Amino acid sequence: MSDIIWGTVTKIISINSFEMNVSHQKDTNNDSYQDMEEIQFTEIDIPSIPLDESSRDISQIEQNLKDKFVKCEISGRNSENRLVCTVSHSGAGGY
Amino acid sequence: MWTTQILKKTSNSDYNNLISGKIPALIISNVLSKSLCASLSEKILNSTSIVSVPGISKKIGTSLSSHIYEKSKYFSNAKTSNQSLKKIFSANYSPITIMQQTISKIFQKQIFTANENGMTYSSAMIRIHEHGDSVHLHRDNSNFEMSEYGISDVNNQLSAILYLQSPFNGGELTIYDKMWNKNDEQMRCPEFGYSSDLIKNIPQKNISPISGNMIIFNPKLYHKVESVIGIKSRITLGFFFGEISENYLYSWT
Repeated sequence: MSDIIWGTVTKIISINSFEMNVSHQKDTNNDSYQDMEEIQFTEIDIPSIPLDESSRDISQIEQNLKDKFVKCEISGRNSENRLVCTVSHSGAGGY
Repeated sequence: MWTTQILKKTSNSDYNNLISGKIPALIISNVLSKSLCASLSEKILNSTSIVSVPGISKKIGTSLSSHIYEKSKYFSNAKTSNQSLKKIFSANYSPITIMQQTISKIFQKQIFTANENGMTYSSAMIRIHEHGDSVHLHRDNSNFEMSEYGISDVNNQLSAILYLQSPFNGGELTIYDKMWNKNDEQMRCPEFGYSSDLIKNIPQKNISPISGNMIIFNPKLYHKVESVIGIKSRITLGFFFGEISENYLYSWT
């Protein structure tokens, strides 16, 4: 089972990376994570963000991810010390 | 003092006060008679359309929050949901229509069930809270959370709830004098709603679920439903509504 963290997207870095304020970590995670982490997403489960990176632009990413609460399933760290993750929305703030 | 208004006569300031959060809620008494509420509740409890879902024991109908990123599935389920509600409520005396007419009269605006590209949104949701059921602290905000849907462009979202059956005890709606803002997302719970730390020492108003009464409130104010106590379920019919223009409202769930 991969490690999972949840939190709010605070800053968009590029069409496939963002900064995140980590508010929740799965109890059974193998590692612990900083309060602020940079995420590189390899997959994203948000239909308005195209899977094909060449079809994305920053404003699209800003509109769909900035300030949103997301779930990140971690597969490792890259050479820039960013967490490599599959990103999806998490639950709902209301009905 | 931050207190609910019991509607006696129509006033434009009620609408503005709800939008600004200056009042926690508007209570419209006796929208339906007790006897009609009782017969509708019996029909609802005998309906085969009741489904059990995590977080709430039973419901009839669908909502956007179950399909944030599954738009086509939402509209397909909305069609089924609207058919189920039509089956339960007689066509010429639907409490959904009565709620819409009451809202239209109070706020002097026309109201319609929302549609998008020829597809109709879910018109209402019946929620059945049984003994021990409660709803965790949350807010409702389609502008922020439902960006895949046309309804996210609607202004000044409000919530309308009609109580069809009162439980023996509990089931109050607690509304806090705290409006959601983006920074609160850091206090989200992964599955649903927000940490209770957000509303520590915040003034609150408890509204008893009295059958026949309709309440209207701003769902961006944090709110929750207290535990229902006893064998009699709390049954509600609800939807959201908001402005598509100055004189027109859309409703949806």
